[in-house]
Amino acid sequence: MTYLQLDAVAKRYGSVTALRGATFAVGAGEIVAVLGPNGAGKTTALEIALGLRAADAGTATLFGGSPKDLATRRRLGATPQQSGFPDALRPREIARAVAAHYPHPADVDETLAAFGLAALAHRRVGDLSGGEQRRLAVALAFVGAPDLVVLDEPTTGLDVESRRALWERIRELSGGTRAVLFTTHYLEEAESSATRVVVIVDGAVRFDGTPASLRERFGVRRVSYVGPDGPIDIATGDTDDYVRALVRSGVAFRDLQIAATSLEDAFVTLTGSRR
Amino acid sequence: MNAWRLTLAHTRLMLRDLLRSPAYVIPTIFFPSMFFLIFAVPYARRVDRADFVTLSYVAFAIIGVTLFQFGVGIAAERGRPWERYLRTLPVGAFVRFAARIACALAFGLCAAALVALTARLTTPMDFSPAQWLRLGLYAAAGAIPFVLFGIAIGYWASARAAVPIANVFYLLLSFAGGLWLPPQFLPGIAASISPYLPTRQFGELLWSILGAGDAARALPALAIYSLVFAVLAAIGYRRDERTRYA
Repeated sequence: MTYLQLDAVAKRYGSVTALRGATFAVGAGEIVAVLGPNGAGKTTALEIALGLRAADAGTATLFGGSPKDLATRRRLGATPQQSGFPDALRPREIARAVAAHYPHPADVDETLAAFGLAALAHRRVGDLSGGEQRRLAVALAFVGAPDLVVLDEPTTGLDVESRRALWERIRELSGGTRAVLFTTHYLEEAESSATRVVVIVDGAVRFDGTPASLRERFGVRRVSYVGPDGPIDIATGDTDDYVRALVRSGVAFRDLQIAATSLEDAFVTLTGSRR
Repeated sequence: MNAWRLTLAHTRLMLRDLLRSPAYVIPTIFFPSMFFLIFAVPYARRVDRADFVTLSYVAFAIIGVTLFQFGVGIAAERGRPWERYLRTLPVGAFVRFAARIACALAFGLCAAALVALTARLTTPMDFSPAQWLRLGLYAAAGAIPFVLFGIAIGYWASARAAVPIANVFYLLLSFAGGLWLPPQFLPGIAASISPYLPTRQFGELLWSILGAGDAARALPALAIYSLVFAVLAAIGYRRDERTRYA
């Protein structure tokens, strides 16, 4: 069952083209990562999905309706952007107000506790650390118990340990029919948590498939060894061929290693840039 | 979803946020009464004078709340990420606006009630129940152009500029409108422009309760001001929507 469908969506800001016919979908139970270099159009795609902006051409369909309709947005939860809270409010007050918008919200205190905010529920938001505010932002996306959760860079600015813990929580809360759509700068998050990856480059979807298939299609393996002139480290599409040629050439070598391809390598091949 | 419940939730959130920032509470709620103590009490030794300046300061209090709540509030919030987030929630602009009006009403009532209380305690002011009733009606009607003026400031001024702009309009227009000192005490230039100011017309409307002002002239004047400010507010709002959410 399709929750969100972007169909040939185009968007321009003056002379800048943000999206040129982007098409992708998010269905029940999926965790979809939207990846792409900065300025590729990820944020614009998300803004159109959230009903914050309208497409110039093409259509965005959310639960069979328009993302601008209140009825469709009742099944949608999103995160506030970084450092965006009114300082004087408290996490519990904010979470309760957000939950009031949804027909069957989750328990506010349980949701706060799930994201490690139980002890902070009555503090001023302005006094929370950046990481704690980030966790509150993600908790707010879940507190309405929506079918589709949209997380815009949920873990930016967090340390490795907190990122891992937060993703564990997100995966736990994403089972069943709930779908999650997220953007991230950390490719390992896409690799470990996403069921599908959508790569946007220059305003168009360049790849749409599982993380494994992205690796297979665009990945490179690395061959390294110590030759007569010192260590050698080479990226190649076909390691078998390379090794065969190396052996046949009769050059002396030792410590031959073939490194498995990473999503990061595949991403670099696909986009021509890091991240 | 229940629009009432949502309006309540948004009002509560907004009120809590505002009540916890003294920089908002003190000027909007306490300034009018403070000014009353400084400028009005020495003058208000007789009942007629006391009644007159009490009405003036009720207008002064209401204008302050509307310019700050709508002008400064909108200007500060419209560019914030929080505002962008609230727009992703399933809630219409109508509910959010109703919450803002409810907040303004709450603060306006507090500020005006504090003026009335101060007047009661420090001057021989005395209204009949019928006068109180007319005061309530006229105060609500006279607030309309200032609400629209506030919205216009909120959408035209940047967050940083909104506070000084609101303050300048608030203080200068109140003074020149004869709300601090009765119009007959105004110095030359202020006295000559005073009749054309919306603050003066708000004063005239309230003073008519005492038979001192001309409601038949003040009401149409305030209606014209409302129209002008409504157009300015609408253009500002459209401009903001186009740049942020098109």
